[in-house]
Amino acid sequence: MTASQPVILGEMPSLSKLYVNAAATAARRRVLGTHTGTELPECSHEVRGVQADVANLTAYQHLIGETASDVLPAGFIHALAFPLAMSVMNRDDFPLPLLGMIHLSNKVVQSAPVRFTEALDIRTRVENLRGHRAGTQLDVVAEVREAGDGAIRWLGVSSYLAKGVFLPGIDKPSAPSVPAAFTAPDPTALWQLGVDTGRAYAAVSGDFNPIHLSVLTAKALGMRRSIAHGMYLASRALADVGAAKGDAFSWDVSFEAPVFLPARVALDISTAQDGDGAWQRSDYAAWSPHSGRKHFSGSVAAL
Amino acid sequence: MSIQGQSAPGPKESSPSPSAGQNAAGQNAAGQNAAGQAAAAFPQLRKAVVVGGNRIPFARTGGAYTKSSNQDMLTAALDGLIARFGLQDERIGEVAAGAVLKHSRDFNLTREAVLGSALSAETPAYDLQQACATGLETVLGLANKIRLGQIDSAIAGGVDSASDAPIAVSEGLREVLLDLNRAKTLPQRLQALSRLRPKDLAPDAPNTGEPRTGLSMGEHQALTTAQWKITREAQDELACNSHRNLAAAYDAGFFDDLLTPYRGLRKDANLRPDTSLEKLATLKPVFGKNLGSEATMTAGNSTPLTDGASTVLLASEEWADAHDLPKLATVVDGEAAAVDFVHGKDGLLMAPAFAVPRLLARNGLTLEDIDFFEIHEAFAGTVLSTLAAWEDEEFGRTRLGLDGAFGIIDRSKLNVNGSSLAAGHPFAATGGRIVATLAKMLHARGQVDGRPARGLISICAAGGQGVVAILEAH
Repeated sequence: MTASQPVILGEMPSLSKLYVNAAATAARRRVLGTHTGTELPECSHEVRGVQADVANLTAYQHLIGETASDVLPAGFIHALAFPLAMSVMNRDDFPLPLLGMIHLSNKVVQSAPVRFTEALDIRTRVENLRGHRAGTQLDVVAEVREAGDGAIRWLGVSSYLAKGVFLPGIDKPSAPSVPAAFTAPDPTALWQLGVDTGRAYAAVSGDFNPIHLSVLTAKALGMRRSIAHGMYLASRALADVGAAKGDAFSWDVSFEAPVFLPARVALDISTAQDGDGAWQRSDYAAWSPHSGRKHFSGSVAAL
Repeated sequence: MSIQGQSAPGPKESSPSPSAGQNAAGQNAAGQNAAGQAAAAFPQLRKAVVVGGNRIPFARTGGAYTKSSNQDMLTAALDGLIARFGLQDERIGEVAAGAVLKHSRDFNLTREAVLGSALSAETPAYDLQQACATGLETVLGLANKIRLGQIDSAIAGGVDSASDAPIAVSEGLREVLLDLNRAKTLPQRLQALSRLRPKDLAPDAPNTGEPRTGLSMGEHQALTTAQWKITREAQDELACNSHRNLAAAYDAGFFDDLLTPYRGLRKDANLRPDTSLEKLATLKPVFGKNLGSEATMTAGNSTPLTDGASTVLLASEEWADAHDLPKLATVVDGEAAAVDFVHGKDGLLMAPAFAVPRLLARNGLTLEDIDFFEIHEAFAGTVLSTLAAWEDEEFGRTRLGLDGAFGIIDRSKLNVNGSSLAAGHPFAATGGRIVATLAKMLHARGQVDGRPARGLISICAAGGQGVVAILEAH
């Protein structure tokens, strides 16, 4: 965490321009062989007075399986803050290549509900640069407050991996963590994800990352087919947990095998209650009913 | 959740903990008191009786009724009932029916069927929809109106066509069409049209998946069947009995005054009088093939998609007497239940396992006081899972709040004239089929041990719901 003043942006940056700029930066670094150091930028970016578009909100809610209420789903706030998070990783002094980064895990603390009518101040920063057995990882932190100087309503921490990038001075973890063997339980739900799943999520989230859009655009970036957006999958799981989670909760997800589209995804949600029958937490896991490989897992828990 | 906890208002009452179960057991007695007080507070409540019923034979989808609409079939069943009981030009108190697969244009399906029938055009009607429990719920709602003195006569019913099912346009096309309708200028219209994509032209066919889980009803039941360790052999045996019992009932002329032939059908098209355990054993499993346990559910022990309609004539005793009509059975009581199936706490079709214990407790009865069990055979596994739950000590204690298992039923009293596995299951029409069948059986039995013969109906429904009822011989 940095004590320096945030850089205030006049408006939410454009994701498409950020992607183009990231591609240009990648090309320039490849040609010139330059890199920008081994430390993360200390400054944070902020946009004030952000307001959700209600038509976009409704489309998002319908796609994810949420009721179209006036409260912003936690995954929608992630999408709202995402361009600002990208802008920090797009800075010239950001040491890792932005394109091709892999979303490893995501954690959100929703301490109070946010309604679409509220103006929000959103601040993002990067921190915790560290080694990973396959490269280098870092955390992108986003804080969402009511405009003015309110308390944090929504806090998101996204962990990304720059695969195959090893920065000097950052050690790999000595023992690679071996994931526990996964045995698929009986499913409680089955998702049929069409080939247009990635495009549909791009339309409501604004995240037009080519690896999600089509077979051709995904192949251009070295994937054999397009893959479902991780936050689409996690947000659907959150919607499936349902109204029991209430207004204040934590929500985390760890991504494993990507979901190549089209796909059938099996899901299990198990709920834990306290002695009085009140909801405490729901754990979810999703896997391929075809191969049995785990796609992602996580939990939603009462604060 | 405990059975009584389900009916209690506070969320904490639905606790699975043993202590709450004890509380719930205490509430059980309180519930009986409340029922007793209610009876005392409304001494003028009168009886609602089943006069009789009429249905058309059930056809397999794509069969004899392929081109018949829901309204056609409901009107056919209604006209047969009118002819049987001389109701031409009669103003009935109210008619209620419904369909599960329903076209949006059929918003007034039942009233339109009444207008197309020989009943007085001054007969009011309403539509009701509670998935497969639709037909039984129309009987219970109308019987309650009769008991309260709001109406003297009523016709309950239901209809469904899996052949003539509605097909919707895609969401993309629908949104464009609605925006086009709202557009006022040519540029606005063109802009709306420009959003149309080729894939939007593909229609949206109905599917049988539960909206919240994406699993089909068969896949849900396969999970429950495996959970209760119901064997393939037990399911095939139940299916075989259903066909044998229904065939024997036809041979005995049991359905002569319950059916009106339609479109050349005189019997349910799904009935296989010559089926056998050997033949059923040759069928390949169709549901639960991706589960860890062995797949046991086949086309033989699951109900097929079916078309058909049924109706039931209900009345006060006075109205039946004044019209010189029979009084077969009394509609005693009914109960609805629902389970939290979404994350697998209970099986999708297990709500009757909770509804029946509550209903019997409220009426001071046990399973041994029932002479006929009509448990709807959505799948053989559904019936057998429900019976297994009732026989299970753990389920009885922790989920029903009882001292032990709820009880065992005498299989010779189960679906004695066949049920949905043999007859087929046009969703909303099944309740009317069962009520009319049971009322006739109860009337024929008359008295048992000095009391009226008693029957129990149990129907499971999509959305984790179930509706159950008690009928007594009049």
